[in-house]
Amino acid sequence: MGLTILEKIIALQKKTSHIRNLCILAHVDHGKTTLADSLVASNGIISSRLAGKLRYLDSREDEQIRGITMKSSAISLHYTTGGNEYLINLIDSPGHVDFSSEVSTAVRLCDGAIVVVDAVEGVCPQTQVVLRQAWLENIRPVLVINKIDRLIVELKLTSQEAFTHLQKILEQVNAVTGSLFTSKVLEERAEKDAEAQSSCTENSSADQVYDWSAGLEETDDSDLYFSPDRGNVVFASAIDGWGFRYILRFFKQRALSHFIKLISPCFSLSSQSKGKKPLFVQLVLDNIWNMYDAVVTRRDKEKVEKMVTSLGLKVMSRDLRHSDPKVLLSAICSQWLPVSRAVLSMVCEKLPCPAEISAERVEKLMSVGARRFDSLPEKTQELKKAFLDCSADETAPVIVFVSKMFAVDSKALPQNKQRPLTQEEIAQRRELARQRHAERQAANQSYIYTLFCSADALCAQTEALSVKAAVEEENKEHFVAFARVYSGVVRKGQKVFVLGPKYDPSLALRALPEGCSVADVLPSIPHMTCCTVDSLYLLMGRELEELDEVPSGNVLGIGGMEEFILKSATISTSPACPPFTPLNFEATPIVRVAVEPKHPSEMPKLVRGMRLLNQADPCAEVLIQETGEHVLVTAGEVHLQRCLDDLRERFAKIEISASEPIIPFRETVIRPPKMDMVNEDLGKQQKVAVIHQVKEEQMKNPEGVQVDSTGLVTLTTPNKMATVRVRAIPLPEEVTRLLEDNVELIRTMEQFSLFAWEDKTLDINQKILENIQDFKVKLESNLQGHKWRGAVEHIWAFGPRRCGPNILLNNIEGYRRPSVWQCLEREKETERAEIRDFDNSIVSGFQLATLSGPMCEEPLMGVCFSVETWHMKISAPLAQQDSVDEDSQPAEPSNDDQSESSDVHETSSNRSRSRVEAAGGSVDCYGPFSGQLIAAMKEACRFAFQAKPQRLMAAMYTCEIMATAEVLGRMYAVLSKREGRVLQEEMKEGTDMFIIKAVLPVAESFGFADEIRKRTSGLASPQLVFSHWEVISSDPFWVPTTEEEYLHFGEKADSTNQTLKYMNAVRRRKGLYVEEKIVEHAEKQRTLSKNK
Amino acid sequence: MSIFTPTNQIRLTNVAVVRMKKGGKRFEIACYKNKVMSWRSGAEKDLDEVLQTNTVFVNVSKGQVAKKDDLSSAFGTDDVTEVCKQILAKGELQVSDKERQSQLEQMFRDIATIVAEKCVNPETKRPYTVILIERAMKDIHFSVKANKSTKQQVSRAGSCEDLTVADEVSVVNASVCPSLQALEVIKQLKQSIQIQRAHMRLRFVLPAKDGKRLKEKLRPLIKTVENEEFDDQLEMVCLIDPGCFRDIDELIRCETKGKGTLEVLSLKDVEEGDEKLE
Repeated sequence: MGLTILEKIIALQKKTSHIRNLCILAHVDHGKTTLADSLVASNGIISSRLAGKLRYLDSREDEQIRGITMKSSAISLHYTTGGNEYLINLIDSPGHVDFSSEVSTAVRLCDGAIVVVDAVEGVCPQTQVVLRQAWLENIRPVLVINKIDRLIVELKLTSQEAFTHLQKILEQVNAVTGSLFTSKVLEERAEKDAEAQSSCTENSSADQVYDWSAGLEETDDSDLYFSPDRGNVVFASAIDGWGFRYILRFFKQRALSHFIKLISPCFSLSSQSKGKKPLFVQLVLDNIWNMYDAVVTRRDKEKVEKMVTSLGLKVMSRDLRHSDPKVLLSAICSQWLPVSRAVLSMVCEKLPCPAEISAERVEKLMSVGARRFDSLPEKTQELKKAFLDCSADETAPVIVFVSKMFAVDSKALPQNKQRPLTQEEIAQRRELARQRHAERQAANQSYIYTLFCSADALCAQTEALSVKAAVEEENKEHFVAFARVYSGVVRKGQKVFVLGPKYDPSLALRALPEGCSVADVLPSIPHMTCCTVDSLYLLMGRELEELDEVPSGNVLGIGGMEEFILKSATISTSPACPPFTPLNFEATPIVRVAVEPKHPSEMPKLVRGMRLLNQADPCAEVLIQETGEHVLVTAGEVHLQRCLDDLRERFAKIEISASEPIIPFRETVIRPPKMDMVNEDLGKQQKVAVIHQVKEEQMKNPEGVQVDSTGLVTLTTPNKMATVRVRAIPLPEEVTRLLEDNVELIRTMEQFSLFAWEDKTLDINQKILENIQDFKVKLESNLQGHKWRGAVEHIWAFGPRRCGPNILLNNIEGYRRPSVWQCLEREKETERAEIRDFDNSIVSGFQLATLSGPMCEEPLMGVCFSVETWHMKISAPLAQQDSVDEDSQPAEPSNDDQSESSDVHETSSNRSRSRVEAAGGSVDCYGPFSGQLIAAMKEACRFAFQAKPQRLMAAMYTCEIMATAEVLGRMYAVLSKREGRVLQEEMKEGTDMFIIKAVLPVAESFGFADEIRKRTSGLASPQLVFSHWEVISSDPFWVPTTEEEYLHFGEKADSTNQTLKYMNAVRRRKGLYVEEKIVEHAEKQRTLSKNK
Repeated sequence: MSIFTPTNQIRLTNVAVVRMKKGGKRFEIACYKNKVMSWRSGAEKDLDEVLQTNTVFVNVSKGQVAKKDDLSSAFGTDDVTEVCKQILAKGELQVSDKERQSQLEQMFRDIATIVAEKCVNPETKRPYTVILIERAMKDIHFSVKANKSTKQQVSRAGSCEDLTVADEVSVVNASVCPSLQALEVIKQLKQSIQIQRAHMRLRFVLPAKDGKRLKEKLRPLIKTVENEEFDDQLEMVCLIDPGCFRDIDELIRCETKGKGTLEVLSLKDVEEGDEKLE
């Protein structure tokens, strides 16, 4: 771009009233970037011939290939009208749903917005969204109805039909604006009502008259709507380069202008005399229709020439002769009714300058979350004035908001840009090259100078190394902050505070001395850092221009902030400045994938790349899961694709692959079902003998394991020294939930017991103790009934990992070990409880068993293992040693005081340990005894588990969907296809939106968001949050057993079993045995014929 | 019957022969390929899908059918189906291509799962995923030694599932166990990616007089000491390589003569919970 424009722009930046910050918003493919192209072309940055084809602001390769915009990018334009020069900071935004976060970043920095609507498609879902976004950010919109040429060329509407069509579109847009307005008014009204009611209850006034007017009538909303006679609508065809706004202006330039004067100058679009065409059609549309007819449809050369001369335009003969009529058309139209002039003049007239920022908007920006503006510190409130003034004074505090960070190749930075070489430089280089060449030749020829050669080679090597280093330096990604100055002047080298989104000004004000500045050494305050502004850039689409200072009201890029800013931040010279309200994103990230490098050794590169990606993308989330997966969460499939491309090519620069993340399951047991699969009572029916059942029974129980009919499992260790009997019992659902919720408490209790075991005490504060007591009471109340009598007191351990949702019960007669609740009983007289030897082994076995269940090695949940008996045969030498032990330390009487009893405790535990070691020391072909006991206990638990009806538990998402009434049906279809369950649906007040709450298995959630969007054309958008675990009701091992089931399902029952499918998928992933035939049909294998 | 004509001969194709020697005689049955293993594992329940023909042969390729007397003398019954089932269950067979392939794949997965479960990335203290380990194993051209595991009945549950406990628990069938191959894999993988066995967290309490002496001996076995208290007795919490557990156990037991205690705090020390990258 020319230097003159740059200088002009810099000069204009200081005139706040002549700046317009605006963004272009629309549904995808409604022509935002094309419109931006024509505006860019008006400044001579690109050729006007290429406008609409080049898509200058789509600088990424994939943007050009896919033909959609994926990021918001800014450009500064210069516009002169009526002797006034304006600086226009234009931000182009993407229209695709996946990138609505980029729209938010763009909208935040602007004062006005151009809303583009396709004349054919009308108001689309994204149009509604962007209108809402503009509304929420309090920025003023103007309307451009684009692609009117399609009405003529594609739909072949007559001018009359087109008129009604355009009217309809205007109505639609105004309806959306209207609904936004009413919902706001209703909200305010509701707030007022609530306040009134609270005051009413105090007064308890008897006569309440409800005011039905709802305040709608009182509030004036006329200035919100779009209407041609208000001058905030442009009719345009950006691809052909024409557009007009004021109908009057349109005619003045034409020969017919004298005719116009006869008509009332304030006619409106809808004024219509009887039986005739409306004036708008007669005077405006007909002319355009004629033009298209002559140029595109009939190609009437003579008429075209006549029109051109009557309009007083000059069209190059080259264009006249061009075979493509579109070329001629745009050549004529861009002179006749240039779209850029129409749009830019409207923008300059109708949109506010930065200084006109409304107080309401400032308050909204400054009050984070639910905090009210009034509650901010006084000094912060004073800053409001700075906002409103928007002055570029030296004294004004600097306030800058960074809405996103974007990555720039270091090559694109102006510092590193190649300037054209001067003649002398070129000559110098040539000389150098010649010298080098001569040297090389000389070296090659002279065999004697081998030494010299090697030295040269060394030189070359070092040179190559330095080049390599330089290349690496160049490849580094630079981040530029996309920002706007709200007050003051930002200068290069200035010291500023960077305030994170969670920064609290009141905290800082208290900590900092009065009147301190950034240069002082400051105590560290959370979410606040100091840094120096490295470099300032003017954003020019794909290029950047370096600046020295930027006064308030401008959009700019700030370099060198990557270490201080993650995604968005506020920059200020005043610590009193509050962080701006976080951007409200319309789309929350929901598409999850696991990312892995192709070569496992490149893991660190991937992690670094993902960090950069997280910084560069306002909407992407990255996290490492407990399983070691690196998960990338994006807003949609297209967004995902872009993120992966970015990772591959810019940030990580390695090959990566993305896959569905691992879905967790839990295993549990349930009470035996009373009904069979065809809802018949099981008790009355005779079981049909199943041939294979006998065989399976045999297979299940290897030697040494006995399972009785009630599910009691007896197992003996390989050396026949110990026998345990275990039974598995399903826990009630409430108990499981209780255990899940109180993991922290259980962990504390566990720690306490551990310390008690070592005879130390752990101090737990009173609050936690109360909580534990509470937890215990709740457990007791939930574990009612005969079979749970005293169960809470007998809890031995929790598992897995000592704090999970499974319980080990001590139902052994005559074994009283200290309870897990001992932290509660510290005050009481400690009962004499003894810990048997190998107590730990039993617990370890239980922990292992609960960590991975028999179905597919997933953790158990909601299972209670009750140990009924535990026999030990201690061999003779051990017993002797025991007796020796007891002799040396005679047992204390039981009614001793506390200190002594604890002494006993210690000795006993010590003894048990010595026994452990002694037992381990005895030579045993099966390994150490403690290990055998762990294995035996684990096996016993597994068999006990298998003896009960087993079920899988699936993780569930709660899914909140906003949808309009017309797509409800399709949305339900998607939900039910994916086994979702609707919990509730309700209509949002004041709109036609429904809010549906549903639950959905995590396993079915991949592609769900995308599918629902596709099926409902984007009118329903789900949000998924993990909620709970739910038992899948079908039995994975189910085979038909009753007569009814045989009738219904047949002998094989080969209908798909969802649970079995899940289970087998997990087993296959883990490399466990899957009961599947290698080939389904023996006869259908390939026959290898023998030559016979 | 004696004349061999095209009309009266039944030609079997795709035969997998299962042989068994009993009572000094050889018996064979003709089965379909890739089906016998499925039958043995219980996945295939239809006998007709396994057997080509319900006959017991002396030699399948020659078509010599076993005599009834031989059958009843060897098996105690002349019910051919019953005999076929016995031969199917206990006879020796040539493993078919797909069977072998699936067997190897499963073993490969199994090993990868064990490695993924037991190892962490030492930098992040987080486990690798199974898929990543599999890819790394392919990269180093690791091949499963299938011949070591023809015995399917390895008590997987007891010895292989838990390496760390395997140090403690009896390892019955060591050479066949995939976990031992997994150990080998870990060794090899260390050369290509950052991987190590997840550390075990131990706590031991030693009497004061043994403490000093033992500490020096324990030092080379311990990776990192997290906590150390020395007042009247030495108490240490430390991370060790699971392979050293036996040595440490032995050392403490022998040297302190049963007075020292050893306690496993966690079998593997890994980061818990999700971490957001920022």
